[in-house]
Amino acid sequence: MLSPYLLLLLVPAPPLAVFLILGLDPFFLRRKAVQGLALLGGIAPFFAMLPLLGLCLGTECRGVMPIFTLVFGQSEVALALLLDPMSTLVGLTVAAVGAMVMTYAIDYMSDARIADLRRFFALMNLFLAAMLTMVLAGDTITFFFGWELMGLCSFFLIAYNTGLPQAVAAGRKAFIITRFADAFLLAGLLLLFLEANSVRLDVLIPAGTIMTEDRHVVIALLLLAGALGKSAQVPFHTWLPSAMAGPTPVSALLHSATMVAAGAFMLARFSPIVMSEPAVQAIAAIFGVGTAAFGALSAIFQADVKRLLAYSSISQIGFMVLAVGLGAPQVAIAHFVVHAMFKSLLFLAAGDITHGSDLGTSMMAMRGALRRRPIAFVTYVAGASSLAGLPFVTAGWWSKEAILATAWSGGAFGILVWVVALLTATCTAIYAFRPVFEALQPEPEHLSRARRGHAVALDLHYRKRWGSAFIGLPLVMLASGSLLGGVLVGPIIRFLGAEPPHPSHLPELVAAFAPFVGIATAAALTFVPSLAAAVAGARDMRRPTRLDRKFQRWVIEPYVRLVRFLAGNRMGARAEAELELRHVQIVRWLSRGARMDGIYQALFVRPFVNTVRWLTGHRGGTVDPVGTLPVTLAQRGMQALVTRLAHDRFDRFWMRSANRLVRLWVLASALQTGRSRDYALGAALGTAALLVIAWGTTWN
Amino acid sequence: MSATTLVLLLALAGGIFATGFFGLLARRAILFQLISLEMMLAGPALAFLAGGAFHGSQQGQAMFILILILAAAEVALGLALYLALRRGADVEDSDTIAGLKH
Repeated sequence: MLSPYLLLLLVPAPPLAVFLILGLDPFFLRRKAVQGLALLGGIAPFFAMLPLLGLCLGTECRGVMPIFTLVFGQSEVALALLLDPMSTLVGLTVAAVGAMVMTYAIDYMSDARIADLRRFFALMNLFLAAMLTMVLAGDTITFFFGWELMGLCSFFLIAYNTGLPQAVAAGRKAFIITRFADAFLLAGLLLLFLEANSVRLDVLIPAGTIMTEDRHVVIALLLLAGALGKSAQVPFHTWLPSAMAGPTPVSALLHSATMVAAGAFMLARFSPIVMSEPAVQAIAAIFGVGTAAFGALSAIFQADVKRLLAYSSISQIGFMVLAVGLGAPQVAIAHFVVHAMFKSLLFLAAGDITHGSDLGTSMMAMRGALRRRPIAFVTYVAGASSLAGLPFVTAGWWSKEAILATAWSGGAFGILVWVVALLTATCTAIYAFRPVFEALQPEPEHLSRARRGHAVALDLHYRKRWGSAFIGLPLVMLASGSLLGGVLVGPIIRFLGAEPPHPSHLPELVAAFAPFVGIATAAALTFVPSLAAAVAGARDMRRPTRLDRKFQRWVIEPYVRLVRFLAGNRMGARAEAELELRHVQIVRWLSRGARMDGIYQALFVRPFVNTVRWLTGHRGGTVDPVGTLPVTLAQRGMQALVTRLAHDRFDRFWMRSANRLVRLWVLASALQTGRSRDYALGAALGTAALLVIAWGTTWN
Repeated sequence: MSATTLVLLLALAGGIFATGFFGLLARRAILFQLISLEMMLAGPALAFLAGGAFHGSQQGQAMFILILILAAAEVALGLALYLALRRGADVEDSDTIAGLKH
């Protein structure tokens, strides 16, 4: 009898098949066919998940579908898909949001060229398959495979506009930072494998909880670092705001709702290992709440809607990490589900509103939204209320309240965290409603032709026409989910095997008050002219801030002194002037507001580039024999091996052989007379030869 | 049936086959080539009958019926081609229709 868990294989299969068809495209599909296939691949996983949910609610919710098993020694590599409450819930959320976003993208991307469209939908479907594989994975190898494939798709989709240098740079940045963090995750998973001698999660996680303490701490910290990188938490957060260079459906699906939150999912999945170590748990909680506060504060001062929402994702995922750190991964998953709904809604609605404007995705582009795009505006308000956590009527309130209540019941440390989280929730309401109030203002009458031309040059293909049902339907469905999903929070937590926290009345009352304070502040920041000017001034960052000056004093000047000291007497006056100039450039560049990015640029990227230049003697004068040796060896090796086999010579060799074959061809064509008598003779001679051979070989 | 009779019959069968084969190679008229092909099929058929009779098995006769059907099918196709060539292009000589190789 067939196992019902075979259905698990059917969940990631359709988008993968669509990726193969669209990626290879043997049929030179037309636009409608590409869109239809993409829609099919986007929606099918949702319908494959539904019977699994029924199975999970009805009978037993713990099943494994083995794919491939390899045993060597006492270790076992068993690839499998796993159905349990967590994977069912997260898989269903991902499939649902994926279906919505894919439906929306059909219309949103319809102006793109056919080749771009094919590439876009192929990658989106590959992403969906990878994410579902990761969520349903029953072993660490499948898990890591899905995890890395997601990162690859993220890179390609951020750099979708290959004509824009900043998009390509953003993709590269995201790729490098997340790969760096993934190295930690891989190390953690491999150490776990060595402990458990198995890659299956159901064996691995129990084995992970009973190992010795020092190993335990190391592994838990490595897993935490991997999660922080994928989820764009401090200190890895810089890639996410730049990742907004990708198209809006990409931001809605990958860079807010599903892929970025995968770090929190991973922490929840491995929570028995992370949770049994109080120190690591506290670190996770501190990183989570710190990131939440940082992201919310940064989001207030953003001038671009998509960047604002990106910082908001950073902040909200901080809440999820905080929940795991407080020992409530079930609450984190509940917030994951709710966040996926309202954040993808916000991105999609904002994308539709700004699509009808000439101002790209800046905050100004939101103006006049009520008249221009009423459906998108109303659904945006629904999403923003859910993000801000308006009490009782929105889903965001219920999940955030569960996190706050968990913090409140966590002792003195918990109450400290609760205070920070409450302030963050207030900031959340401020930044959530700033675009709403901006949208209430009238549309700017006159647009300079330069701005319009800029938007066209950036290929932001704006349109004035109304969105179709492909855009309206996902928006309305996600909006109803963001508002009514609150009733699901309690059942979700119980479904995952925990009791929803019951807060006392006083903190709940205080928390219910926070969103209103935030909304009032947002209104003040938008409508009171002096405050609006102050925000704009803070946003522009024309003058160096205090942080910049501190950074100048503690990082740049010691660095300059160190370089001078290392260079010693060899450094001439000219080099010193050059260094001085660069130093001034760095300061000026930092004062433009790229603070964290600037620190990374100054601490990691520039020194690395300079070291490479120095080692290769690129600067002139300071050729280092030890440093240049490997480069020279590599160049020689390349000449010896690669150049010899390079395209031209290799090609020529083959073509010469083929030319020799021409004579053979002339000879062979002479045999073909076209006369049936000659062919009969040939056939007879061949048969005779075969008979002779047969007779000879059977001779005894 | 004695072994001598079998050898004689097999020799006769081989002779018929060889005659047919020689005719196929030597004749240029399509009709005679078809007749030669029939002889080439008749030789093995005789060999099968002789072998079946010698071993007391029905399989020889079964094979003979098979070859009969094969020969009928082949003649149907061959005569149709011959008539078509005859009427359409007035061709008798098989060597003159060597253009099919191009």
